[in-house]
Amino acid sequence: MDLRPAEVTSILEKEIENYQGDSRMQSVGTVLSVGDGVARVYGLDDCMMNELLEFAGGVSGIALNLEEDNVGCVLLGDAAKVREGDTVKATGRIISVPTGPQLLGRVVNAMGDPVDGKGPLGTTEDDLRPIEQDAPSVVERQPVDQPLQTGIKAVDAMIPIGRGQRELIIGDRQTGKTALIVDTILSQANTGGGDPSNPDQVICIYVAVGQKQSTVVDIVRRLERAGAMAYTIVVLASAIDEASMQYLSCYGGCAMGERFRDEGRHVVIFYDDLYKQALAYRQVMLLLRRPPGREAFPGDVFNLHSRLLERAARLADNAPEINPRFKAGGGTLTALPVVETQEGDVSAYIPTNVISITDGQIFLESSLFNSGVRPAVNAGISVSRVGGAAQIPAMKKTAGSLRLDLAQFRELQAFAQFGSDLDAATQAKLTRGERLVEVLKQGQYVPVKVADQVIILYAGSTGALDDLPVKQVGEFERALIEYVNDSHPEVAEQILSAKKDIPDETKAVLDGAITAVKAQIQA
Amino acid sequence: MGVVAAAVDQVTGRWADALFGLARRQGVLDQISADIERIALECQSPAVVAFLQGAKGSTSERLAKFGGLLESANPHTRSFVSLLFERRREEVLLQIGAAFEQRLLEERGAAKGIVESARPLESAELEALSQDLSKRLGKDVTLTGRVDPDLVGGVRVFVGTSMIDQSLQGRMDGLRRRMMEARLPAVGS
Repeated sequence: MDLRPAEVTSILEKEIENYQGDSRMQSVGTVLSVGDGVARVYGLDDCMMNELLEFAGGVSGIALNLEEDNVGCVLLGDAAKVREGDTVKATGRIISVPTGPQLLGRVVNAMGDPVDGKGPLGTTEDDLRPIEQDAPSVVERQPVDQPLQTGIKAVDAMIPIGRGQRELIIGDRQTGKTALIVDTILSQANTGGGDPSNPDQVICIYVAVGQKQSTVVDIVRRLERAGAMAYTIVVLASAIDEASMQYLSCYGGCAMGERFRDEGRHVVIFYDDLYKQALAYRQVMLLLRRPPGREAFPGDVFNLHSRLLERAARLADNAPEINPRFKAGGGTLTALPVVETQEGDVSAYIPTNVISITDGQIFLESSLFNSGVRPAVNAGISVSRVGGAAQIPAMKKTAGSLRLDLAQFRELQAFAQFGSDLDAATQAKLTRGERLVEVLKQGQYVPVKVADQVIILYAGSTGALDDLPVKQVGEFERALIEYVNDSHPEVAEQILSAKKDIPDETKAVLDGAITAVKAQIQA
Repeated sequence: MGVVAAAVDQVTGRWADALFGLARRQGVLDQISADIERIALECQSPAVVAFLQGAKGSTSERLAKFGGLLESANPHTRSFVSLLFERRREEVLLQIGAAFEQRLLEERGAAKGIVESARPLESAELEALSQDLSKRLGKDVTLTGRVDPDLVGGVRVFVGTSMIDQSLQGRMDGLRRRMMEARLPAVGS
């Protein structure tokens, strides 16, 4: 970013002119011990929880343990600059991050400082928000009833996510958890044309906790190339950052999202991942000598995640009347946390905690992934407790029996492996199931619009694909969607605006199109 | 080094509370505080510190080393020290001076402070400063001067765990932080 030297000079001139020394009484303390990124300080009498502290050498810290005779704090910078006996100043400020539209398209660290080399953010002091805030209360909320389209057929059809919901993405490493997130971000371009000033555009916030920097660079590149960074903020606390930064980044990212939510916008935030955040928190708390509990996590590790995820909400339309902190009503903050499991063990401590907090989970399985079912969503144990209320009616009707069909298919498939003589009804169910599995497969970085999803799911659920070889299903899908959008562009609109089921005349058009495309493919 | 009064560990604090409470009740506060001051002075020598931290032998043997110091002391002080040795808590003596003084100052509504300045302050200046501070804090503040050339100009006052920074160095630090946070416009905005 270039700066005009003359303007800079005049601004600095004004700053110097208006600068007044601080003659207030400040609370100070002395460093008793320092090491491993934490310090113990004597003094600091009026210190607040989560207050920002100033150490010598320009290093900041946060007060976390307020004890009878000392204050335990984590350092947010180079601990080598802090020595025993140094003076520590309390700032009287709770730790805050900058928020607002200036952050869109940027990569920032846990404190909200830009790390993408694109210059200052240009936010003012008024844009600062404390990272820890109370979640909206019961009266300030309303039920979740608007869909958040992920653009992934398997998710939108069977595990629908509503705006304001919290849906966990859980699975082993290398099962496509982050890929699911990237696709969801790309898919949000369909909500407002990718223009962040459009009030319909869903804002995306990706919080990378303890990730490899190379992975995050990949994701940012991918989003930039697709034009998706325009409505996205990336909060980066990578594996090399201090543990304190890693665990605070989620709250910072959430505060940035809440700013948009409170202004009536729709936001989806991804925490990738909460297991690493819990590990970072455990490290800090053990160093601060808080007593360890199960798996050495501190006792409040449940609250660590629950207070974060509670901040996801759909605000009531009259929220500003109830609490002036909300600028407009009806805004939503959807949280999609990620938890990585080891060997598919969902009954470990952190996964069970987060499963119980969220409104459902998308379970990704490595065996499915390796057998070519991608996205590797296990429809059996994936659920969305908000679910159907957050689907468009046409999708709800079309995909209604999908979960059941697939479950029956999986059961029969296991049996069919033993015997070869199957009755016709079983055979038909197997045929249908194979094709439905094929329909739900999807390439990476190609989110599908919801109307297109309904078209192909309609073909699958009515049995139109049953006489098609499994290998041709993918080809048929592409051809059908292209054919319908080219020759009957009104169909998409009719599906979206349907009040109950797809209208009969639209169904007739679709049936005609299916016959035409099938003929074209088999020719 | 830090200027905030040193931390006193909790054990020493409890013993100091007990002795202080007793002295006040018996009306011998001045006498006992003088005793404690003498003991604290004695405890500054490295030989005594080493003795207190690693003394061996029976109670009366160890106590004998402190005998000379306690001869002219108040009986309560004598029992206090004897009890400490009996309970093998003699390391409490290392910080008892600071702990007792804290309580004494609190009782009298007084406070001790340190003034740092670039040049030595004259006694009139110190006097004016402590009077001003006493008014502001509602306490009787006694200040001791200390020279720190890094301040360049002005003063920095520490009282307990509070600080008022009116030094040139502090102001420059503050100004530097303001300059770093100043909002600069981008070209084309």
